[in-house]
Amino acid sequence: MNDQAQWIVMLGFIISIILVFLALIVNQSALVGKTTAEGVLEFPKAQIQDMRAEIMEYYWNGTINDAGLKNDLGRLFLEKKGAIIYYNLTASGNIFLHYNDGTTDYYETIEV
Amino acid sequence: MVNESGQIYTIEGVAAGILMIVTAYLAMSTTTVITQQDVHIIDMQLEQLGNDALAMMDTPDSYGNESKLVQAVGTNNTTLFRNQFLIYVNSTTGARLENMGYNATIYYRNSTYAIDSFTFDASPLPYYRENAVKVSRWVYLPDFINVNYTTHPDLRDDTQTVLLEVLLWRQ
Repeated sequence: MNDQAQWIVMLGFIISIILVFLALIVNQSALVGKTTAEGVLEFPKAQIQDMRAEIMEYYWNGTINDAGLKNDLGRLFLEKKGAIIYYNLTASGNIFLHYNDGTTDYYETIEV
Repeated sequence: MVNESGQIYTIEGVAAGILMIVTAYLAMSTTTVITQQDVHIIDMQLEQLGNDALAMMDTPDSYGNESKLVQAVGTNNTTLFRNQFLIYVNSTTGARLENMGYNATIYYRNSTYAIDSFTFDASPLPYYRENAVKVSRWVYLPDFINVNYTTHPDLRDDTQTVLLEVLLWRQ
């Protein structure tokens, strides 16, 4: 048995093991980045922005309490987008809105 | 003949070999490859483009005016819609234009308050299984706009919201 150069051998092992762990971290980072980005993309951003713009339009035109418009938006949302929405003018004069498509449950109070 | 000198070198060699293989495997599997399932990332760019185009069309040029989209949908002006929409979605940096196909459908609640729809405008070449996305915009039609569709008389002429849904694809 030759027991020379044990330090060098041990350092070699340690460095190799560290390299394996670093490779593992790099491997995970790509996956984590991808799922996070997909999560951001799957958020119904366009739906909510569009609904918000429409409700603001009602507000500026003074038709936010119009029952016909509430039905138009609510029924079409349910039928075409598969989402439940609700909005009203609160007692303090702000606009409350709610959007739920089964995955995203979104509430907002717009200060006007 | 068995000789016990240099055993540590043998162990080291085997261990180093395994470590190298494992590291190489991890490094190779890190590489991202665009597969069939990842096509939706390209779809999302097209979806963003379509949504942005409709949002721009639904924005009035100045305060108190009606937006181009409200004018087009409210007065059944398909030419106005087509020109404006195609300018937005086909714009690129430089002179070369994209060539987008689209099919715009309006969903509304008719005079008996049931949900109904009709094709508002479509590109001349019909849709034939291209990779398409669906974008939409709520269009607010105030009372003073005279909604008059001869082909769809059940579209109400009062304050209402209709849904404009556009199927968009690259031709």
